[in-house]
Amino acid sequence: MLYDRHVGRVYALTLRILSNPMLAEEATQDTFLKLWSRARLYLNERGSLLLWLLTIARRTALDRLRLEARRPMLSDSNDPEEAWDLIPDLSSLPEESRWRSLYFEVQSLQPDHRQVIELAYYQGMSQSEIAEVLGWPLGTVKTRLRAAMEHLREKWNAE
Amino acid sequence: MARDEHSLLRENIPAYVLGALDAEDARALEAHLQTCDACRTELADYRAVSDNLLAALPPRQPAPALRKQLQSRLPSARPAQKTAQPRFVWSFGRLATGVALLLLFVTNLFSFVQMRELQRQQLNVLHQLQNNQTALAMLSYPGTEALPIDEGNISGTLLLDRERNSAALIAWNLPELPEGQVYQIWLIESNEDRVSGGLFRPQADLPYTTQPVFSSQDISDFVGIGVTVEPAGGSDQPTGPRVMRVNF
Repeated sequence: MLYDRHVGRVYALTLRILSNPMLAEEATQDTFLKLWSRARLYLNERGSLLLWLLTIARRTALDRLRLEARRPMLSDSNDPEEAWDLIPDLSSLPEESRWRSLYFEVQSLQPDHRQVIELAYYQGMSQSEIAEVLGWPLGTVKTRLRAAMEHLREKWNAE
Repeated sequence: MARDEHSLLRENIPAYVLGALDAEDARALEAHLQTCDACRTELADYRAVSDNLLAALPPRQPAPALRKQLQSRLPSARPAQKTAQPRFVWSFGRLATGVALLLLFVTNLFSFVQMRELQRQQLNVLHQLQNNQTALAMLSYPGTEALPIDEGNISGTLLLDRERNSAALIAWNLPELPEGQVYQIWLIESNEDRVSGGLFRPQADLPYTTQPVFSSQDISDFVGIGVTVEPAGGSDQPTGPRVMRVNF
């Protein structure tokens, strides 16, 4: 069913944002409850149901993060828990293979580029907040974020 | 709009799709997007990347208990849906919700039925175990007689312990019975009158059935036992087809 099919990705996202299994499980639960109560708002043209669900999950987890007023440590690409089987799984959906490649590209970004992407997307920080947290000039943050996204866009479209 | 201003705004699109643009810059870009086709196209392109970044993380499984917690909280979400009924629109989202709720309900119902079935099987197994232990105890007693049963496909042994006024039937290959029917044991008197000795159904999943024979009077007063097929609840006298007869 819907829950079993998508919970792995929803939980992975909330865990990445909240860095706490208990909070991540609560955010995952809230995400599915929101899905069931707001499903009538889902528009087919908006895209896949999974991506809509993940958008809800990100918003839910970021709200919780602000509520907790805590900023988790930045992820370490060498963290064994984040290990991802990079060998393409031929039995999986085409999207699965593209997501694996996208994840690989994020991990392959220059560390300071990846840091900006992660703080923006998984920690919900604005460019100004990132500049403040990292002690970088705002212009540097903007340049690195743009360069990283251009790289990812290029790779995504080349798939 | 000046080309430079367009370029400056366009540069903000990647930060915008990540939600990282400061509020003032975001408002300026949104106003620009209303009139610039090129930037809208680029926005859609970057949006595809940001959307799929959400799915790109390696899946992680939460604790299994989360599923049950979610199920327990789900009914509280139903009234909210009911309030939306007057504005019913047949959409994919509503259909997905309906299917999700239905699947949850069916899963719960299935689990409940399975649990009941397991309880029933457990009781049957316990009952059968007790019967087998009775038969085994009788077999080990020196005074027990073992009388053979041979009725076509049905064979087995009647254990008869006159001293302790007890008997047990061990029958192989008893046919399954439809709902509403049972096997009834009859204790046969010398004048061929019958006294009920208990009801039973064949044990499911076992090739044999062990059944104690109940007698309120001295079992030596009888000359044998018989088994017939009767309606559920049993009969006062045999009415159905005879399955076997064993003479003492």
